[in-house]
Amino acid sequence: MSDNDILTEIYRDQMYNLLQRQERGDGRALDEYREISIETGVLERAEGSAIVTIGDSKVAVGIKMQPGEPFPDTPDVGVIITNAELIPLASPTFESGPPGEVAVELARVVDRGVRESKAIDLKKLCLVEGEKVWLIFIDIHMLDHGGNLLDAASLGAIAALLTTKIPNKQYDLAEEDEPLPIVDIPVAVSMIELEGNLLVDPDHIEEAVASTQLTIISNRDGTLSGMQKMGSGPISLELLEKAVELGIRKGQEIREKYLYPLMNEIPRL
Amino acid sequence: MDKLAKIVIPGDLISEKPLKIGEGVFIEDGKVYANVYGILDQKDRVRVIPLAGKYIPRRDDTVIGVVTEIDFSSWHVDILSPYEARLHIGEYPGRIDQSEMSCYIRVGDLIVATVLDVGWTMKVDLTIRENQFKILRGGKLVEISHTRVPRLIGRGGSMISMIKRESACSIFVGQNGRVWIQGKPENVRLAERAVEMVVREAHTSGLTNRVVEFLNANK
Amino acid sequence: MADGVYTFFKDGLRLDGRRKDELRPLKIEAGVLKRADGSCYLEHGGNKVMAAVYGPREVHPRHLHNVTQAIVRYKYNMASFSVDERKRPGPDRRSIEISKVSREAMESVVLKERFPRTAIDVFVEVLQSDAGTRAAGINAASVAMADAGIPMKGLVTSCAFGKIDGEVVLDLCKEEDNYGEADVPVAMIPRTGDITMIQMDGHLTFDEFKEGMKLAIRGCDQIYELQREALIEKHQNDLKAKE
Repeated sequence: MSDNDILTEIYRDQMYNLLQRQERGDGRALDEYREISIETGVLERAEGSAIVTIGDSKVAVGIKMQPGEPFPDTPDVGVIITNAELIPLASPTFESGPPGEVAVELARVVDRGVRESKAIDLKKLCLVEGEKVWLIFIDIHMLDHGGNLLDAASLGAIAALLTTKIPNKQYDLAEEDEPLPIVDIPVAVSMIELEGNLLVDPDHIEEAVASTQLTIISNRDGTLSGMQKMGSGPISLELLEKAVELGIRKGQEIREKYLYPLMNEIPRL
Repeated sequence: MDKLAKIVIPGDLISEKPLKIGEGVFIEDGKVYANVYGILDQKDRVRVIPLAGKYIPRRDDTVIGVVTEIDFSSWHVDILSPYEARLHIGEYPGRIDQSEMSCYIRVGDLIVATVLDVGWTMKVDLTIRENQFKILRGGKLVEISHTRVPRLIGRGGSMISMIKRESACSIFVGQNGRVWIQGKPENVRLAERAVEMVVREAHTSGLTNRVVEFLNANK
Repeated sequence: MADGVYTFFKDGLRLDGRRKDELRPLKIEAGVLKRADGSCYLEHGGNKVMAAVYGPREVHPRHLHNVTQAIVRYKYNMASFSVDERKRPGPDRRSIEISKVSREAMESVVLKERFPRTAIDVFVEVLQSDAGTRAAGINAASVAMADAGIPMKGLVTSCAFGKIDGEVVLDLCKEEDNYGEADVPVAMIPRTGDITMIQMDGHLTFDEFKEGMKLAIRGCDQIYELQREALIEKHQNDLKAKE
């Protein structure tokens, strides 16, 4: 057993003891997020950007846009390309090299959240049907891994998209740059399961201890647009349904508190 | 074991009473379930005889190993298992010098050895002191699933003694599924076919008689 | 579809004549490969997948081993000819993610602590793909694991539910998947009812999700029976092959 495994065992015992009293190590309620902050427009070379912190976690998201070819099966819609890297700067456990399975999964879950919620009206990003559409690159860089990078990344992606300006001038396509046509605001809410309890927004120790993690992505109208179970632990149907409900509720809270303020006007449902 | 031997798969409920259980089962909430694909046996105790799986060494097992490497103090021995075994120089019957290890047992030799100890992390140590040590030479090696070894040996060694007698071969069966047969070439072929028959039909009734018939018909 | 040009139901039945709660036809065969420790060939609708299990065996590279238990590795791979437009060979981001979630779907049933310092390797090769290849792969892998004699607390079974024309249905076929409004692959342990994999993309209300989970669980129960039959049949075939 490596030192880390042994430490994890120690943390597991402590966490179980606290859970008997429905408490967590840092005093949070089981369904409570750590402090969240979102800064947008901080990276000037990007068409849109956000730096999100959730507790000790920090993630930078940059949006770059350029005209390019559409996919043959969808000739009249813009293209979203999401990439995530767990760079060694963010944690002693991250290694250099091409994205591993955790990074790939994270990027794909964030990507599906944006795509499946139809957050962006991609039809409006067609320039010449079958030839030229806007490509949107969502690049996610983890800066500090304090746990729950997925929610930070997802929040960063949507916050950056909300403040992205289509670079029309740079490509001589129009007189003025214009905001991205955003029509929905998906929010990802992750939680772990421990001894039948659901703990929202796990820190990195809670993540290491848990063998089941769930991410629920929901939209403004309270419907689901994505979900992913991670980790090898099983979960009962009853608890899964509870988790989905909880995810939708927490998603709504985050949307209202942190994302609506980034918008000039909130479109009607 | 009869023709109607009941096959179970992992997770099958076997019994509501967790009394006298053997291998291949686990208990959850007071009920007994199979944890392996195999034949259900409820004769003395409830157990599942696996139909497949790797050989995992146990203390006192007698195995046939192949020497794969020699280092400064031990022979590394492949025992047809996920775990490599070691035969320490001190386990050789008689004092020998480190520099001479390869004169006594060479890489590629087939040896009969006993499992001395299996450590917590599955470190496997062998010994050749107990039984009459030999290097197997000049016979034929056959590898079968270790799950069929008990059937091949038979109750009190009945099956293997019969095959030896009827085929006029000398046969050695390691618990790890390696079988070594020595005799006249035509006899070795016959014995090998009898072994294959036992492996295939291990869980059927009247097997001993069929093997006798087969050996007599093909002598 | 939302614009109503294309409809997925005719007289209450789906394009391929199935009811909403009906699986596509399945065929499962255990022990089809000679060299692997355990194997399974599975057809599910238009999916054709092969699974092989090797192990427990020594871990290479060595440093990956765990001194207290076996590691499980799962490789899902799509053959280049498994799809209409040739797929570039080798792992892509999709198959990396599928390999991860599939492995996690199976790991909890395996008695890994029995085999410290070893690896149990699962290889799933998609030879022909319809919709639902990851579920087909998990179902085949589960049978192959049992066939390899690996001790497990139960089999894992998987199937998906989805939404088409606003209706929640079991086991999407390719056309339904391409134009459907949601796709939710689920894996579970039928013995306990626990869920070991869930992914979702698309658009669903909470009620639709609950309705779909009921369908998926019933679907898994049916597939589970076929998995068990395949294993029992394999033993009978081994006996028949004696002459």
